[in-house]
Amino acid sequence: MNPIMASAPALFTIRSVDYRAISPVLIILAVALVSVFVEAFVGRSARRPVQLVLVFGAFLATFIDLITLHATRLVTAAGSVAVDGPALVMQGAIILLAALAAMLMAERMVDPSGDPFAARASSLPGSVDEAEFSARGYFQTEVWPLLLFSVAGMMLFVSANDLLLMFVALEVMSLPIYLMAGMARRRRLLSQEASLKYFLLGAFASAFFLYGMALTFGFAGSVNLGSIADAVSAKPSQSGLLLLAVAMLSIGLLFKVAAVPFHQWTPDAYQGAPTAVTALMATTVKIAAFGALMRVLYVAFGGIRWDWTPMLWIVAILTMVVGSVIAVTQSDIKRMLAYSSVAQAGFILVGVIAVSGKGLASVLFYVIAYGFATIGAFAVVSVVRDASGEATHLSKWAGLGKKSPVTGAVLSLLMLSFAGIPLTSGFIGKFAVFSAAIANGATWLVIVAVIASVVSAFFYARVIVLMFFSEPTEATASVVVPSAFTTIVIAAGATVTVVVGIAPQPLLDLVNNAGLFLR
Amino acid sequence: MNVYTPILILGILAFGFAAFSVLTASLTGPKRYNRAKVDAYECGIDPTPQPEGGGRFPVKYYLTAMLFIVFDIEIVFLYPWAVAFDRLAFFGFCEMVVFIITVLVVYAYVWRRRGLEWD
Amino acid sequence: MNPVNYVILSAVLFSIGAIGVLVRRNAIIVFMSVELMLNAANLAFVAFARINGILSGQVIAFFVMVVAAAEVVVGLAIIVQIFRTRRSVSIDEPNLLKH
Repeated sequence: MNPIMASAPALFTIRSVDYRAISPVLIILAVALVSVFVEAFVGRSARRPVQLVLVFGAFLATFIDLITLHATRLVTAAGSVAVDGPALVMQGAIILLAALAAMLMAERMVDPSGDPFAARASSLPGSVDEAEFSARGYFQTEVWPLLLFSVAGMMLFVSANDLLLMFVALEVMSLPIYLMAGMARRRRLLSQEASLKYFLLGAFASAFFLYGMALTFGFAGSVNLGSIADAVSAKPSQSGLLLLAVAMLSIGLLFKVAAVPFHQWTPDAYQGAPTAVTALMATTVKIAAFGALMRVLYVAFGGIRWDWTPMLWIVAILTMVVGSVIAVTQSDIKRMLAYSSVAQAGFILVGVIAVSGKGLASVLFYVIAYGFATIGAFAVVSVVRDASGEATHLSKWAGLGKKSPVTGAVLSLLMLSFAGIPLTSGFIGKFAVFSAAIANGATWLVIVAVIASVVSAFFYARVIVLMFFSEPTEATASVVVPSAFTTIVIAAGATVTVVVGIAPQPLLDLVNNAGLFLR
Repeated sequence: MNVYTPILILGILAFGFAAFSVLTASLTGPKRYNRAKVDAYECGIDPTPQPEGGGRFPVKYYLTAMLFIVFDIEIVFLYPWAVAFDRLAFFGFCEMVVFIITVLVVYAYVWRRRGLEWD
Repeated sequence: MNPVNYVILSAVLFSIGAIGVLVRRNAIIVFMSVELMLNAANLAFVAFARINGILSGQVIAFFVMVVAAAEVVVGLAIIVQIFRTRRSVSIDEPNLLKH
């Protein structure tokens, strides 16, 4: 008898799905569908308020749902979704940061002509159509369903216990962001170019992920992370197929966390995309990508950690060094923040290499602290403007701190946090990550990391010096007074950075109690 | 032989429907002949203007093609469901209804945003 | 025929796609190469499903097809928009984003 037929009946047993445990994702997806429906049937002028209510309502409902689920630890949907501590913590962080990014996206006071998005993404830049759409006061509201789908993808990405679900979640997360990156109201050519580059390289990386998944399937006969782990430990001999699979899966995931040498898209995409979307890419996507990277490496390939940690060592060192050194030479604040995010990814990888519960908790802490500081920094970038729009060139930031002391002080605080100065959340994060790595014997790696963070402190300090120790000139940009949306984001970023820096214990407790990945 | 009976019935039904349609149309439909009716591939719309001496097609083809691809490929999920329809029972039916609803919402969006109109 | 040959074929297709992405300069061709890589993975899934005697590889291929179609739609929308603006789809030409 044909072996394929023999195994067929087992496939069709219906496994129960715990809808309660996966309800956060379901809420976001359901609201995303309603949001598409609103785009179709609600009048143009009413769309924006309806969409804002839907988006923020969905985030609020999901966050409350996550809090009620906080003690849940189970694997459901035929073993493809793991609702465990790390997943819930990351989902909560993603929701909070996505809500803040949504506030930046909703901001209308900063740009005199409206929100950060082109009135119609389909109109040609500089065309009559475009001018007419703007003059008529049209607004892009399709970004809201895109945002919701992307957030749903991120939430699934961190709790996927199955490579297939992870791949689908990766695409659901990425595709809307590729589109949103190309929708800027100003500098549309740059924005479209960023979108194209991000898309082509992103698709290239996800093809690697997919082929790695195919090889894993060939090795283990399953794409479930638990079954892969069983197969890995059952066949202890070195398998070229398996090593190739791990390498290709890692390429796909390391691309998303912007690790060197898979970081080339980062500066272009960060610079060209609307700042609100950049904030989303730099925070939530990073959290989601690290969550998935750790889950794949820890759960599925924890048994062969001695084979993949050397590779990760090289990537981490390259990422820290290249990110820090190239950031020093940047003259555009968004590009500098992009290379800074590359360097930070390297520091986080140090925690990933620890391959321990402590390492996992430290990475969770780091990405959350880094996420809030980053979203605050991009919010500040979005309000520093001149006649042509956002003034991102650093020469226009000279003397800004004397012109607008509060904005300058907030950005300085966030820069100090990135640099890892004590009494900020960045310091605690670096300390946690480095001590987890030392506990696991990666002392040399930590020495490199400390040197790299000294280099990175240089370019963060340069921005502070530029703002406060040079005189404002004609070219110095001015700080626009934003609406409550952006103000909340800046305040939240600064507050979390200070509070977590001074009293880190509640967040440390949260990440330590999250426990390990289930399988 | 019994296993082939449903196929035979299906074949008869299909043939009967085709014959019925053609016959009804010729009996009840209006008969107005004009030049357009005898054109090859006449389907009710003006032929798309072709660029002189070859060249690129109008970009509207791409929109239609993309919409077709998306909706066409979504339907692939119906095949495995159809194969295991009886064993998946009511659970599978509900899941598939949810799937169809999601596709319908997107279809409504395309329709309302005039993605299906030719000009 | 030995199903391992199909795995080798898929590896060859994947490599052709990867090389295409790296050396070609037309965004559409680059994109086609990415699609070739995705479909190479599909072939690998089906071949491994046959080798391992597990049906799920074939179902995974369905999912990959759908994801690839969604990617095509998003990608073509971006590329067509760039083309309409610049009358070119060379990925070297749009280099406004350099330092």
